[in-house]
Amino acid sequence: MNTGILSILGVLRRNRMAMAGSTILMFFVFIAVSAPFIAPYDPWKQDKPFLSPSIKHPLSTNDIGQDILSELIYGARVSLFIDLFAAAVSTIVGTLIGSVAGYFRGKLDEILMGITDVFLLIPRLPLMIILAAYLGPSVWNIVFVIGVLWWSSTARVVRSRVLQVRETGFVEACKALGASDTYILFRHVIPHSSHVIFAKFILNTARAMLAEAGLSFLGLGDPVQKSWGTMLHYAFSRDGFINNMWWYLPPGICIALSVLGFAPIGYGMERKVAMLRSY
Amino acid sequence: MPGDPLLHLLGEELYYSVPDLVEELKAKYGLNKPLYEQYLIYLVNLLHFNWGCSFHYMQPVFDIIVLRLKWTLFLLVPSVLLGSAIGMFLGLIARWKSGSKLDIESALTLLFVYSMPHYWLAMLSLLIFAFHLKLFPLGGVYHSGLEGFSKLADILWHMCLPLAVLSFFNTSYKYLIVRNSVIHVLEEEFILTAMAKGLDDQTILFKHVLRIASLPLLTIVTLDFGFMVSGTLLVEVVFSWPGMGALIYDAITAKDYPVLQGCFLLVTLCVLVANFLADICYTILDPRVRME
Repeated sequence: MNTGILSILGVLRRNRMAMAGSTILMFFVFIAVSAPFIAPYDPWKQDKPFLSPSIKHPLSTNDIGQDILSELIYGARVSLFIDLFAAAVSTIVGTLIGSVAGYFRGKLDEILMGITDVFLLIPRLPLMIILAAYLGPSVWNIVFVIGVLWWSSTARVVRSRVLQVRETGFVEACKALGASDTYILFRHVIPHSSHVIFAKFILNTARAMLAEAGLSFLGLGDPVQKSWGTMLHYAFSRDGFINNMWWYLPPGICIALSVLGFAPIGYGMERKVAMLRSY
Repeated sequence: MPGDPLLHLLGEELYYSVPDLVEELKAKYGLNKPLYEQYLIYLVNLLHFNWGCSFHYMQPVFDIIVLRLKWTLFLLVPSVLLGSAIGMFLGLIARWKSGSKLDIESALTLLFVYSMPHYWLAMLSLLIFAFHLKLFPLGGVYHSGLEGFSKLADILWHMCLPLAVLSFFNTSYKYLIVRNSVIHVLEEEFILTAMAKGLDDQTILFKHVLRIASLPLLTIVTLDFGFMVSGTLLVEVVFSWPGMGALIYDAITAKDYPVLQGCFLLVTLCVLVANFLADICYTILDPRVRME
């Protein structure tokens, strides 16, 4: 755990892009957390439709008269929530499969990596759409759909790290002391791979953000929760996109900025991992 | 999504009031047989290139897919080639002049493009170039009633915007990959040798660096064709381009299972073939992996 957080801090200190990325993210997290205090209106409250931007409604109103700035601010909550949970699910699944495969080797490794390769090659977007349509629209279903389909590259990376860790002296020492495999795996091997896992987690959040926005854009998101992708969906499907550019310009920029915020931190950490490996 | 396609076909009123008709249709589509039997029939039919009949379009699935695939490929092939060529060129030049203004600016811009949801970029371009400037049509493939050369010109005109968006997105993606692989190649000793021999920049860059740096790119380009549906799906929806992506999307809303099955089968086949092709190309480009 600690090594993961420390390595994030280390990357931030040295890498200006990562620093900028985390500033953007902190900003969005702040907005998401304090949404009820900073949003001027309830995002569901209706005023007149298609008002042009004014002091009362800085980003104008949508087709049923909801304040778009408030929608955007509350949307940060839903988007970041789905995003972080989906990334957490995919990272946990990937870590478990990767570390078990790397630690136990043999037949189990072959089977698990075979499954991973299949998941790497599956065209994810169509499958995600079908799963999301099949499970029905809800926030948790989207988390589940993204989580179970995006773990494969995490599993590959974690496995190759675990292959290194399992050969180290202290793992051998643990075995000699009679420690069980689960104990070694969860107390020593996984914590020693935590910087790889953290880097992958951050990259997964960037991907999950785009995946969630895409699903919601197609109208497969939760209709009672407004995420940025859902806003884009309504803006596109109700032609607001021609009537009112303030409706779809801001959510797109928010999605792009938050992806841009996550990516450099993840890449920075990956580079650091690569550097550590070469020693 | 789960739901009876017959319900969609008959409408709620008929479905619940005339049970005989439902039974008759079930028998017609073979839905009253046990599952394993239905699956066997499906497999046998597949081998005869009979991919079933769409509930929604009332046409053989294979014909629909072939028609839609044509439009997707028409958009995808030029966008992948164009995007890869520009991305590779930019990536090479930028990395060669590492740390220069060109390098930093192109990296930041293309990273931002890469972070954008590309259907959003499609919406933006549609608004600016089609709605406000009226330079391009709002969607679709061609106007009806045109023949021969003017039809082709019309198609190309309709293609401009989606093609530009897809190529732009492709460029950003390929650029980031090439830029990354060039870093590793430049550290290799044969580059130092080439410099010591006094070769000029262009020769080193395009003859030595490019060949090695294009290897990972090649895998990705071939996989692009395998993943074509995912790549163009959302953009197709925005531009109402009648390709595979739009087909899958419509099939889901219409609960058209045979079309979905067919699409997935085709996409899976494409991925497998693309992987195989990537392996073959690798052996041609990189003698080190050639098998004895």
